[in-house]
Amino acid sequence: MSLKLKALLKSPWVFHLSTGSCNNCDIELLDCLTPRFDIERFGMVLAGSIKHADVLLVTGSCTRQSVIRMKRLYEQVPKPCLVVAIGECALSRGMFIHSYNCPVPLDKIIPVDIYIPGCPPKPEAIIAGVVKLIEKVKKEKRCEK
Amino acid sequence: MMTREKILKDLQEKFKSDIIDVFDKSPKRVYIGIRPESLRKVAEYVVGILNARFNIATGLDARRHIEILYHFTLEDINLLVSFRVKLDRTSPKADSLTDILEGANWIEREIHEMLGVDFRGHPDLRKLLLSDDWPEGVCPLKADYKEWDKKAIRDRGI
Repeated sequence: MSLKLKALLKSPWVFHLSTGSCNNCDIELLDCLTPRFDIERFGMVLAGSIKHADVLLVTGSCTRQSVIRMKRLYEQVPKPCLVVAIGECALSRGMFIHSYNCPVPLDKIIPVDIYIPGCPPKPEAIIAGVVKLIEKVKKEKRCEK
Repeated sequence: MMTREKILKDLQEKFKSDIIDVFDKSPKRVYIGIRPESLRKVAEYVVGILNARFNIATGLDARRHIEILYHFTLEDINLLVSFRVKLDRTSPKADSLTDILEGANWIEREIHEMLGVDFRGHPDLRKLLLSDDWPEGVCPLKADYKEWDKKAIRDRGI
């Protein structure tokens, strides 16, 4: 793909966005940052601001109130950016699919690059998913050549 | 110090015409059904004289009525007293306790948006949890709630 995307693959900075999750996915995501799992091996650093981020990690079932904020955040990410949906709620809203407060799934609102299922997914699964995402983007690049 | 029996007996004597039923569930839990119009009177007594602490209120749609349970803790005797109020289902109205108990403010706002209960005398009945574009008069926790959002997707796409 573009030069910009190639540059960010060396060290993707991730931004953690929770759209009304039960916090279990968030806890597993925070585990990934601890020395035990240590996603900095892959150059990933948690970005404090959305404007420094390359990868958006989204958890939660997209409630009506958070969808507005999520759209606003997605507009502010420097493009190109990658979106990772983490957990059953972000994938298909899980058990909240008939909830009055969760009308639309995440991938109908913003484009999602990779899905990591699980309730919650293990830190190993999250790391494997993100590594697969990097591989996928690299492969796309090779195809274009 | 007043005992549990004394406090409950006093309550029943003082509010003889206001109390509908008393359900003594367990040593730590009593449910007292009261008339909606005497809610403020009872709450003033329980908070002012008995020094009870207001925990929270619970609203529920019981099909025939809209029920609100006001939970009070009597910490000296380790007792949780729940006052049950049954409201008319078609147009539920209750007196607001906000001027007696500031802690009742937000829970009344929540019960107002979720079950459509009109709290008379509440200073500010704005929405608390629902989104800003939620239509007026639609109460999601009522039993007869119907989907109003035409754009909602309710299948998993498989």
